Amino acid sequence: MTEQPALSVSNLTKQYANADHPVLDDISFTVPKGKVFVVVGPSGSGKSTLLRTIAGLEPIQGGTIALDGEVIETGRPDSAKAGRSRRSSALRTRIGMVFQSYDLFPNKTVLGNITLAPTLVQKRDRAEAEREAVKLLERVGLADRKDAWPHELSGGQRQRVAICRALILHPEVLLFDEVTAALDPEMVREVLDVMLGLAKSGQTMMIVTHEMNFARAIADHVILLDGGHIVEESDDAHAFFTNPNTERAQQFLRTFEFE
Amino acid sequence: MFDWSFVHRYAPFFVNGTLMTLFISIFGILLAIAVGLVCAGIELARIPVARQIVRVYIELSRNTPLLVQLYFLYFGLPKLGIVWSAEACAIIGLGFLGGSYMAEAMRGGLEAVPEVQRETAYVLGLSPMQSISRVVLPQAISTAVPGIVANVIFLIKESSVVSAIALADVMYMAKDLIGMYYSTYESLFLLVVSYLVILLPISIAGTWLERRFDYARR
Amino acid sequence: MQGAEILLQPGVFPRLLQGLWVTVWIAGVSVGLSIPVGLLTGWLMTLNNRVVKVIMRVYLDFIRIMPQLALLFLAYYGFARWFDWNLDATGACVLVFVLWGGAELGDLVRGALVSIPEVQFESSYVLGLNAWQTFSRVILPQALRRLLPASVNLATRIVKTTSLAVLLGVVEVIKVGQQIIDANRFQYPSGTLWIYGVIFFMYFIVCWPLSIVARRLEKRWAND
Repeated sequence: MTEQPALSVSNLTKQYANADHPVLDDISFTVPKGKVFVVVGPSGSGKSTLLRTIAGLEPIQGGTIALDGEVIETGRPDSAKAGRSRRSSALRTRIGMVFQSYDLFPNKTVLGNITLAPTLVQKRDRAEAEREAVKLLERVGLADRKDAWPHELSGGQRQRVAICRALILHPEVLLFDEVTAALDPEMVREVLDVMLGLAKSGQTMMIVTHEMNFARAIADHVILLDGGHIVEESDDAHAFFTNPNTERAQQFLRTFEFE
Repeated sequence: MFDWSFVHRYAPFFVNGTLMTLFISIFGILLAIAVGLVCAGIELARIPVARQIVRVYIELSRNTPLLVQLYFLYFGLPKLGIVWSAEACAIIGLGFLGGSYMAEAMRGGLEAVPEVQRETAYVLGLSPMQSISRVVLPQAISTAVPGIVANVIFLIKESSVVSAIALADVMYMAKDLIGMYYSTYESLFLLVVSYLVILLPISIAGTWLERRFDYARR
Repeated sequence: MQGAEILLQPGVFPRLLQGLWVTVWIAGVSVGLSIPVGLLTGWLMTLNNRVVKVIMRVYLDFIRIMPQLALLFLAYYGFARWFDWNLDATGACVLVFVLWGGAELGDLVRGALVSIPEVQFESSYVLGLNAWQTFSRVILPQALRRLLPASVNLATRIVKTTSLAVLLGVVEVIKVGQQIIDANRFQYPSGTLWIYGVIFFMYFIVCWPLSIVARRLEKRWAND
């Protein structure tokens, strides 16, 4: 009896209505429970789209997505123009996502942002949700900002709050879509440290990032996406980043070097 | 010279005129908000034919003067057998004019909410209704409030035109007294004071309201 | 449609067009005079003189809070008599529209001047441009881009507000319409509907193109 992977994607195809080529072409991989799965690749390679299909934000035209062994999304060829997937609220809370930027609700305080979904969707007790929210904020070093408004926070602080907001739902998989790309350099570190802490605590995560050193440090498994295909994948992040097998991966990694 | 006893004697006329101005304005503004909501909703939902009708209505309403709209409603339409009271005409006229302005302000507010806000609400498991009521509308309103307040003031000012279809509002009182007694300065003084009494508090309240709803500022 | 024949009566359309010309003339002159007044008030508003600031504030706020019809009454009945100034109805209209347009435009000018980032002045300085070159080649073209769409919109508003001139007795398009209606009261009882309908669309035909131009300008320059 083997344990089901947290997330398994089989033959996923994503095709926009007016495009010649699919954005994602026959992608398959699994994310085991408690592991960190990192996706790297040049811009336009389909990395963000991949996360968005898993979160149900974009319909898929082929393949399946399974969460803990249960298929939650099946591709339909005629769905190119369909909107978001019609997943149940409960199912959506099982996959968390943090976006690149500006996704805190500006009309709610930090605490209001974090407790909105647990009280509204999971029908949890407000006092209990607030207690957990404060605990999460302590974990990311923001307990003293619980009553602040989003516009009073720095970019790095906002992203840490966004992570808390996702964590309070206890998602089985947490998706990160270039969460540090819009941040000033000195704020990148504080967000990445939180993510490293999460990895140690055994949170299953799927991360799209441009921070190669960070990727190397955190990844249990890494894939390079290019033109909608997985060009190279590896269970050994160190080997992948120092000595990749394919010509394409070598070329991609060279763009981050200065010599 | 300026005759204070005249001012004293005829001030009650202007109180009545003010009440008429407020009566027409309040109902006209409520109608304009309702029309604006419906139009903004139709445009946002992209309902095929209704959307074109809304576009035509907005262009007609924004590019013609209220006075001509009122004359058409009050003097023109009865010839087709559609007879309204002057009050109804004034309210419908203000609603017709203001509806397009309100629609634009509301649409601007809704469009200003970034898509990622709806996506975040979806990912967190919020239902479409929860997403609209807890996330989208509060932000849309905060962006739309300054425009809506400006439209309210604009419509109260425009309501002065209803004096032209014999409604006894503030403007009508001034015109009447000037015509009857040649007490020009006193009447004009009362006219200015009446509009200041109506519009200054609203203008100040509007500024307060804008600050109150300013949480969307980044 | 019964009664529509009134529009085909000899002289009806030409007379309406003559009336429309008066409307457009008042609006055109007002817009034309508003531009220098607006530039002047806009510049005055950016000055750091306290007295000037207070005066401009009161002027702008008063003009903005009073209904245009009330301003017309003030000018026609009050202003003229106060200064013993023989101001006819058309003159009163132009005066009010210029004061009103000048205030609105002035605020736009102020906004446009203030919104130019300091770095634009600094880079002009570093490049060695003198004060006039900086203003005419760098600042003004940028300010104009912000100014023009709003000014065209203001022109539309002035055209629409010109309709109020009839209430002071100016013989413009609405007054001409009323005269035609009165003269044909017995022959074409339902002429009212048609005449006011035509006037409605006359205003639309004048204002709509202006609105479209304003929107185009806004769109084209929004992303620069």
